[in-house]
Amino acid sequence: MVSTALKPYPFEFVKRKSVWHDKGRVERQPVVIAGGGVAGLTLALALAVQGVRSVVLEADDSVCFGSRAICISRRSLEIFERLGIAGALLDKGLAWTSGRSFYRQQEVLHFSMPQDDDQHLPPMINIQQYYVEEFLVRALEKHAGLVDIRWSSRLIGLEQRSGSVVVEVEHEGRRHTLEGEWLAACDGGRSTVRDALGLSLRGTAYEGAYVIADIELETNLPTERLAWFDPPSNPGETILMHRQPDNIWRIDYQIGKDEDPEKAVLPENVLPRIQAHLEMIDETGKWAPLWISLYRANALALEHFRHERVFFVGDAAHLVPIFGVRGANSAIDDADNLAWKLAHVVGRGAGEELLDSYSSERAHAARENLQQGMKSTEFMAPPSNGFQLMRRAVLSLASKAPGVRPLINPRQTSAIRYAESSALAQHDDEELFRHGPQRGSVLQNLPLRLIDAKGRQSSIHLTQLLRPGEYLLLVFGNEPDAACEASRAVKELPAEWAVRLLFVCSSMLEPVAQEHVVDSGARMAALYDAEPGTAYLVRPDGYVFGRWRSLSASVLATALCSMSGGAVKEAWHD
Amino acid sequence: MTDQELDAVYTALCRALGELDHEQALMLLSRFALLAMLEIDSPDRLHELIGQAAEPA
Repeated sequence: MVSTALKPYPFEFVKRKSVWHDKGRVERQPVVIAGGGVAGLTLALALAVQGVRSVVLEADDSVCFGSRAICISRRSLEIFERLGIAGALLDKGLAWTSGRSFYRQQEVLHFSMPQDDDQHLPPMINIQQYYVEEFLVRALEKHAGLVDIRWSSRLIGLEQRSGSVVVEVEHEGRRHTLEGEWLAACDGGRSTVRDALGLSLRGTAYEGAYVIADIELETNLPTERLAWFDPPSNPGETILMHRQPDNIWRIDYQIGKDEDPEKAVLPENVLPRIQAHLEMIDETGKWAPLWISLYRANALALEHFRHERVFFVGDAAHLVPIFGVRGANSAIDDADNLAWKLAHVVGRGAGEELLDSYSSERAHAARENLQQGMKSTEFMAPPSNGFQLMRRAVLSLASKAPGVRPLINPRQTSAIRYAESSALAQHDDEELFRHGPQRGSVLQNLPLRLIDAKGRQSSIHLTQLLRPGEYLLLVFGNEPDAACEASRAVKELPAEWAVRLLFVCSSMLEPVAQEHVVDSGARMAALYDAEPGTAYLVRPDGYVFGRWRSLSASVLATALCSMSGGAVKEAWHD
Repeated sequence: MTDQELDAVYTALCRALGELDHEQALMLLSRFALLAMLEIDSPDRLHELIGQAAEPA
């Protein structure tokens, strides 16, 4: 990537130091995380809040610099909310719900993402990646006993042994050896771990190149995704604009087929194009470039994300095109998926086969994300004359033929359903449900009232009931029989399975025997196709593990046993 | 037709066109237009569509 740093970002990139205390000995840790970007830091925090210790190896001495990810999805915010940093992100980030696309100067699409009272989080926020990483680092510093970020520490080699992975690390000119039970490769698109294991990403690399620039600009333009196709200021080009905090704007544009990318990215070629574009949209105020780099879309992935005791997470596992904002967001979902499974294996005696489902679920998600990302890319950067010709047809017809407008929609990221997985109930009543979130899907959010065991009430949204590392068992109805059976089912489980039982009641239980939620007007029951006795078991990552019309103690234990493997099964039988 | 179905057939047509040179692509679109005329089966509607497609892009 060619890049040029210009005016400094208005952000203090704190230089951080770390000390190795190994004194020549081999240090042992449950989890070693290679890479301290969004994926690695999210994984470390998700492990720490579940009480699992890790060490993060970060080659740099500060959070990331330059134009990286800027769009954080609602699903990612839900994950960060569980990790305790959503507040900081929402305070700094700019929430947005819609976007506009223009063909030449005519608006041809105005799209909106779902946002209503059922949601407590915006569909998307824009925030610079360095803020996300900084908030993660600050949160990790509060878990100092459980996580240690080794700055300026570069993984340079590794060896897989039976029961551990030994990594060689270079820190300020000295070598250190670290042994982990597990290694998470969160070391990005040019993963050293991937190379060391002789693995390579496979898929499609697109030829079209984009210039990506961050500029400082004071303006009253709203926070929206803005796209111009063939604008008069830069005929033939596609230009994207995204507002970020601190009056920073991301501007991307595709360069022509005949242009030399190395020249196109030089400031003397970039700045006049941005100037022309800003003039076209009547932005005549002062602006300053902060960053310019070149981007080519890739749609590449590993086939498997687990290789014995090594896991691949985020860009190390898959490179998705930027269009549709699936890069950082899928990395956050990867980390969330891996964290609870690792915590259950490392700290709660679950069988190691649970970890295979990380690979199968997230490799499936990566394939889906790549498909969608490729669709977005084919429109934003047409890979052949066929796509180019048809895109012109769509754009030129869109103002009078609304039916073609969905083809312009950027297909933003969404949570991927796991249709089949060993980490889902193998025998539930899925086929008896007409609607509601399916097994392997994320929860459909809505507001509820939470009543704690002392009868105190609070307003809450469904996804806020999830707590790190805990299953959530939701049982509908006020019926004593169902309540007794569900309570017995949970009480008979080993405590390390951490299942939180909540009754979903149409009215407050009197007297209050235990915590429950009140579903006013039975909206949740309707959305979830629930009858009295219906049970949803939700995994710690917010995915529906299984749903039943009625749930007995033995069915619940068997379902969890089949996923968690032999070790827990023995504990249960003991 | 859902948005996803429209997307899928749109992509299929883009791919088919991408494998052809300019003249062959024009022929594909012409043949496709004729087949679509038979399916639409409404002279008035087809005249409207021809008029709409003929407007400057």
